Amino acid sequence: MEHHAILRVVSKLLIPPILVYALYVQWHGDYGPGGGFQAGVVFAVAFILYALVYGVDEMARVVPPRLLHASAGIGVLIYAGTGVVTMALGENFLGYNALAHHPVHAQEWGIIIVEFGVGVAVASVMISIFIAFACHNPPLKDEDW
Amino acid sequence: MPGLIEANLPALQVVLPLVAAPICAMLGKGSRAWAFATLVAFLAFAISISLFIATYGGQVISYEMGGWAPPLGIEYRIDVLNAFVLMIVSGMAALVLPYAHRSVAAEIPAERQPFFYTAFLLCLTGLLGVAITGDAFNVFVFLEISSLSTYALVASGSWRNKRALTAAYNYLIMGTVGATFFVIGIGMIYMITGTLNMADLATRIIEHGDSRTLRMGFVFIFIGVGLKLAMFPLHLWLPNAYTFAPTAVTAFVAATATKVAVYVLLRFMFTVFGFDYEFQAETLKNVLLPVALVAMFAASLVAIFQDDLKRMLAYSSIAQIGYMLLGLAFLTHTGLMATIVHLFNHAVTKGALFMVAGCFILSAGTSSISSLRGIGRDMPWTTAAFVAGGMSLIGLPLTVGFISKWYLVQAALELGWWPVALLIMASSLLAIVYVWRVVEAAYLKPAPEGVTRREAPLSMLIPAWILVGLSIWFGVSATLTTTAASRAADVLIGSSQMLWEE
Amino acid sequence: MTDANALLLALSIPTVTMFLIAMSGSRPNIRDGISIVASICTFAVVLRLLESVMAGARPSVTLVEVMPGLTINFSIEPLGMLFATVASGLWIVTAIYSIGYMRGAQEKKQTRFYICFALAIASALAIAFSGNLFTLFIFYEVLTISTYPLVAHKETPEARAGARVYLGILMTTSILFLLVAVIWTWNLAGTMEFRAGGILEGNIDPAYVPFLLALFAFGIGKAALMPFHRWLPAAMVAPTPVSALLHAVAVVKAGVFTMLKVGTYIFGVGFLSKTGASEWLVWVAGASILIASIIALTKDDLKARLAYSTVSQLSYITLGVALANQMGVIGGSMHIAMHAMGKITLFMCAGAIYVAAHKTKVSELDGLGPKMPVTFICFTIASLSIIGLPPFGGAWSKWYLLLAAANAGQVVMIVVLMLSSLLNVAYLLAIPGRAFFAPPKKQVAHSLGAAASPSDGIEEAPLFCLVPICLTAIGCIVLFFAVGGLYEYLLSIPILPEAAP
Repeated sequence: MEHHAILRVVSKLLIPPILVYALYVQWHGDYGPGGGFQAGVVFAVAFILYALVYGVDEMARVVPPRLLHASAGIGVLIYAGTGVVTMALGENFLGYNALAHHPVHAQEWGIIIVEFGVGVAVASVMISIFIAFACHNPPLKDEDW
Repeated sequence: MPGLIEANLPALQVVLPLVAAPICAMLGKGSRAWAFATLVAFLAFAISISLFIATYGGQVISYEMGGWAPPLGIEYRIDVLNAFVLMIVSGMAALVLPYAHRSVAAEIPAERQPFFYTAFLLCLTGLLGVAITGDAFNVFVFLEISSLSTYALVASGSWRNKRALTAAYNYLIMGTVGATFFVIGIGMIYMITGTLNMADLATRIIEHGDSRTLRMGFVFIFIGVGLKLAMFPLHLWLPNAYTFAPTAVTAFVAATATKVAVYVLLRFMFTVFGFDYEFQAETLKNVLLPVALVAMFAASLVAIFQDDLKRMLAYSSIAQIGYMLLGLAFLTHTGLMATIVHLFNHAVTKGALFMVAGCFILSAGTSSISSLRGIGRDMPWTTAAFVAGGMSLIGLPLTVGFISKWYLVQAALELGWWPVALLIMASSLLAIVYVWRVVEAAYLKPAPEGVTRREAPLSMLIPAWILVGLSIWFGVSATLTTTAASRAADVLIGSSQMLWEE
Repeated sequence: MTDANALLLALSIPTVTMFLIAMSGSRPNIRDGISIVASICTFAVVLRLLESVMAGARPSVTLVEVMPGLTINFSIEPLGMLFATVASGLWIVTAIYSIGYMRGAQEKKQTRFYICFALAIASALAIAFSGNLFTLFIFYEVLTISTYPLVAHKETPEARAGARVYLGILMTTSILFLLVAVIWTWNLAGTMEFRAGGILEGNIDPAYVPFLLALFAFGIGKAALMPFHRWLPAAMVAPTPVSALLHAVAVVKAGVFTMLKVGTYIFGVGFLSKTGASEWLVWVAGASILIASIIALTKDDLKARLAYSTVSQLSYITLGVALANQMGVIGGSMHIAMHAMGKITLFMCAGAIYVAAHKTKVSELDGLGPKMPVTFICFTIASLSIIGLPPFGGAWSKWYLLLAAANAGQVVMIVVLMLSSLLNVAYLLAIPGRAFFAPPKKQVAHSLGAAASPSDGIEEAPLFCLVPICLTAIGCIVLFFAVGGLYEYLLSIPILPEAAP
């Protein structure tokens, strides 16, 4: 695929905006459609595009599977951890009111943090799934394209 | 700090294994992951015990997730019925995990073991969550968490036998179909009531009255849960899944997953729809009763002809679930008591028997009954555990199986249903046949030539014997379990205080 | 030692013996010694209890509450005391005999044998001392399970098949019929206690009583009431000491004992005769007596013949219960002791013949008498006791059963009992008859020119076998003279109302 200049150049142009868009979707879940799940998928798409153009092995060098497994776990831990923190601060599990003085701000903070955890987890999982499936097939030789 | 923990115990029951699962995935080595998982299981069991003690006298604990009051917020609601189920689930995890160390080490490659224990913890989370929650949709969520991790756990048996993959896939498809039915049913009752909190649903359903949508909702939920609990004829996934999964998985899942599904059925039928809901009573009489009876006989008959020990026990489980459903179909206090006490009794018995099967697989390399000839001599303690568990399965006195059978027959005789009482006993006779086949082979036939088999390691033998001990202890002095079951039955019957006005 | 402690001790000794035997398995002499010592100790404690019970004491111990309202409780009353005395007394005899037999026949797996034996005796004693129907059922099942390894002892395909029939029939009857009957009784009466006059009167619609009785009668498979009797001949694959104690004393006696207990203390003799619910059982028992005797006539295998004889004799006791009057209960209870003494002698003789002469068929026994005189004389004595001729114990129990039949107005049963005695003569006395009076079969020459040896090396059985045989044969005679005391004792079994028919 490396030989296809158009694909290479266009993907290099596209991947950063995709990542930025993912972050936009992530943080704007409060005000419009968005949130962790969608953002995570879009984030993963950037990496998958890179893998499609440059090969799965290249992508695996950038994001090693071990890192992905760890970050998936970290994403879940961020979410659950927020709940544990609120418990330690005196509220019930996931009672965001403990996170700040004003209840509305506290709820906002709570949602933002847990959605971030969701985003991290979803992105890691999507990329891992892609790698798991893609690695099964032997890479196509350029002649066969 | 202790006050903080105590106030949040219901949440911690689920949060603890949930948080532990990703941490477990990050622990590099198999034994570190195993030790961590075992510790978490013990802590979860301790939490279950304290919740059981708190609710034994009849109190109900209510915990609001996120501080949002029900019916808008998700509520965890614990009474003696689900505390009982929680104890069964976490107790089994606490016993199976020490057992799993050697068993998993032999069946799963080292670099995969942390993920195995992660999936195990997630399964535990899911099952505990189903049992503890008071919100209908939350039940679905946790049910799916437990099911998905179970699919992965069953598939991890593929290193021993490739057929585990197809078994897991089959289970996945059927399980998802069941879950889908379940969630459609919940959708229907949400449609007519506008709430998802179970206690609130109960009042609103009665206000709404009987209607076609309500009946459809009931039927969908009934079938969805029925598939999860392997109600005949929705049981087809169970034999293969139990046979090809790693033994520790079978021991845990056989003792818990179907029990939790029975709990969900009980909860929905009696707390949500109401004990005296007409349509439900009709369904029980015309559908559940025959289905349960057929399950008891058909499954036992098939079990008799199996050569693989695990497969035989799997079919035996389907028959035992038939007993639980039969107790339900009686729709009396004694019948419900029989079902609830059998949740515990069967968990303990089947857990022990599957652990024994695992010991055989580890030491003798096979679970085929014909290859296990003469094993009574080589593995005396293991085989003795099998005999004790087998006697409980048949329902001989001084074992827990007898207690369940007693109440079932009593319930049948109270209603004057003679034929049913005799049928219950006749199916016990079938159990004698398939248990005794193994006993005969193990003790009365000579061992095959040139095969050496050593006794199972202590870390596997002790949990099995603890379960056997429990099955005898609670068979000799069953007051604790039967009182808990009786109070739980009271809760279920009493939770529908209002009469249906037609 | 208080009575309650003695009760627990009597049950604990055989139980603890199990473990001691398991531990001393590698030292046969110590292991066998333990069996004998334990049996003597148990008998001593049982005698001590007998003394108390004869003086009127009724010791009672509750162990544990299994389910709300259902306890494991031991309470001794005269009937149970009788059974316990018979069982523990004959344990001594059989322990000695087993040692001789098992060593003489060089059987394998003797440790497992003695362990199961001790457990079976413990269960039999627990059944004897049961204070309620629940406890009795529990130990009834334990007895079945503990005797299975004894029946399957030889581990040959025939042994396995016989043990399968044994377990199959006993389990089927006890789970399908007896357990249902027990739970039904619990539902009706709210209690399972054995009470004088029964617990069912007033709690059950009289129309249902025959059905409940049927469930009990056929559910108590160990009483070998036809048609659920096949387990008894099937169990003859076991070594003879097993047949001797368990099938002539403990297992079958547990069965008819249960029948007596249920008839007297659950239904109540007065209630049974008032409702006439046991009429049908009279006929079934009578038929069982005759049919079993006729089948016994056709059997050539010695142990099979004795097995069918037992089926017939057990039905005598069932008949006693079914006649529903005091004489019936007394006659039946007495027959427990008389038949035990006689049958155990017969079985032990059969075993001795096998060990000494390797013969198992009646047709092979011609002319064996002069070579094994003591054995066959004891066999004759025991046969006469079973047939019911004085001066042997069996005469008295038969007499009281005839009285019971007369009291109940069942003339046909009197005829049945007489006929049965005649049949007993035919199939029992034929054996010593042929042994003493028929010429020995000519030995066939086995090879050309070689003559058969005149003496084939058969001599009297070993001493360890002979002594118990003589003891029990003498016991048959002693019981005849001791019947006065026995009768007085049995009168103390409470049968309400006081003037029961």
